[in-house]
Amino acid sequence: MSENAVETYVRPEFENKNLGKALDVDVERPLSLFERIANINAVRKFSILLGLLFAWEAYTQISGVEPLLFPSFSASSIALWETILSGEMFTKIWVTIEILLVGYAAGLACAAIFLIWAVLTRVGSDVLATLTSMFQPLPAISLLPLAMLWFGLGASSLVFVTIHSVLWAVALSTHVGFMGVSETLRMVGRNYGLRGIPYIFKILVPAGFASILIGLKVGWAFAWRTLIGAELVFGALSGSGGLGWMVYEKGENLETTYVFAALFMVIVIGLLVENVIFRNIELKTINKWGMQR
Amino acid sequence: MSDQSVTSGSIHVRPEFVNEIGTAGTGEVERRLSMFERISNIDPLRKFTILIIMVVAWEMYARIGEINELMFPTFSATGAALVDALVNDSLMVNVWNSLKLLVTGYAIGISIAAVLVVLAVGSRIGSDLLTTLTAMLNPLPAIALLPMAMLWFGLGPGAIIFTLLHSIVWPVALNTHSGFQGVSETLRMVGGNYGLKGLRYIFKILVPAAFPAILTGLRIGWAYAWRTLIAAELVFGGQVVDTSGQLGAEGSTSGGLGWIIFENQMENQTPYVFAGLFMVILVGITVENGFFRNIEERTVRKWGMQKS
Repeated sequence: MSENAVETYVRPEFENKNLGKALDVDVERPLSLFERIANINAVRKFSILLGLLFAWEAYTQISGVEPLLFPSFSASSIALWETILSGEMFTKIWVTIEILLVGYAAGLACAAIFLIWAVLTRVGSDVLATLTSMFQPLPAISLLPLAMLWFGLGASSLVFVTIHSVLWAVALSTHVGFMGVSETLRMVGRNYGLRGIPYIFKILVPAGFASILIGLKVGWAFAWRTLIGAELVFGALSGSGGLGWMVYEKGENLETTYVFAALFMVIVIGLLVENVIFRNIELKTINKWGMQR
Repeated sequence: MSDQSVTSGSIHVRPEFVNEIGTAGTGEVERRLSMFERISNIDPLRKFTILIIMVVAWEMYARIGEINELMFPTFSATGAALVDALVNDSLMVNVWNSLKLLVTGYAIGISIAAVLVVLAVGSRIGSDLLTTLTAMLNPLPAIALLPMAMLWFGLGPGAIIFTLLHSIVWPVALNTHSGFQGVSETLRMVGGNYGLKGLRYIFKILVPAAFPAILTGLRIGWAYAWRTLIAAELVFGGQVVDTSGQLGAEGSTSGGLGWIIFENQMENQTPYVFAGLFMVILVGITVENGFFRNIEERTVRKWGMQKS
């Protein structure tokens, strides 16, 4: 183009005649047995669990730590087995679960009433917003002393505290979910002439179900923690009761193997509720409806 | 078309007509809201009014219902108790004691969670270990470990901090880890392209990209920790009463808010219990709306990862 352009050097074409023999390299190789087994998720996690249990057992056996302070895994599982056989564990579990169910149901009912009011009127919405912003940061357990004063040492105090821990979490999350329902869906509802309760249950609830479910989960987590905590406080004040009380009582009597057994059951119940009940609800609703992948 | 329809005969064609419109009677298209409507459209004002109505209702109920003050004190008595506890008593010291424990536990808990998550990012074993541990220990309420902690660390801050750690580590680690796993492959590759590895990869790529999830974890951790702390202090209160048979063994200045609530309830000073609860709410609102809200504004909202 321009006069003092540098001439480009063009390499001469050539053909490589001497490629040699193809080396025998694995292009594809099956994974070794160990690799294949290690790729199974469940196997890996299970062996980690076994490893942890083994470390626990070995630690207690070798270091000679006082069994009253830190019992071995074998002793704890024997204690668990004993309490299960004698039925003691199940009566304790039932006491706790019963209170939890009553409190959870009552909490949900209260939340539903507040929410219906909040959807129908602006005053209701304001009242709900004010109440939740006030009570949501208040740990339900701190109301326990007052509940004991009002309802005495008994199941009703525990139910009161459980309601308090469920109500605000569920109401807050559901209210936020309702507010986020798209205007299009609302208009569809109005187009069908839906008003009041049918409008809420046919439009708002399905559309806001993802956040309702989050609220239910958070409510459960708070309720479970609050209830166990409340039973511990009750334990400290000598009462009788469920799993939390069992943890406390056995701890006081230095029967630590039973404490570990009770803790194990607390974990099992927590896992069951979270991974079986809520997981199933999730699969059958929001996953099926395609609201969540 | 119209020609056809006219000529086809069998179709009835409506005669043309002109609509006499008359004078325009549109009425008001736009009207200013009345004073009351304008005032009631101010959000804070409405909520504040509701708050005042509730307080008045409380005061009226307690006064007219002639409820025993030990069971349900009036609002004015509670307010007086709050001022008294703040000025003459050492309520602020108790708040400070609680916060000190909470901050210590929170800081240690986050460091442990960070170590676990770094291990999990670095290796598959670490990831498996973290998921197994969180799946197992997250459903266990931290407070249930308090009796064991009291055995191991005695009746003191050590036991409470241990329980707090437990309530913080698992939610934070769980959320951070699942946040990291959700970071898009594109962002990871950008990091790889820049030659980022190890800690720098985590802090420059994964942490900013997964910050909403991390923030959620921090919030849940705080909520659990705050609840656990109050519960633990209540149990401690019960312990002291249980073992010494009388109050005051801990001393009212060394305990935290939960302890103050428990102690005042035991001494039947219900207005002071309400004052303590009020402080609990205040601390909660301050942390949630002051602290976390600010972090949110300055990070995920500023970065456009979360809409208002």
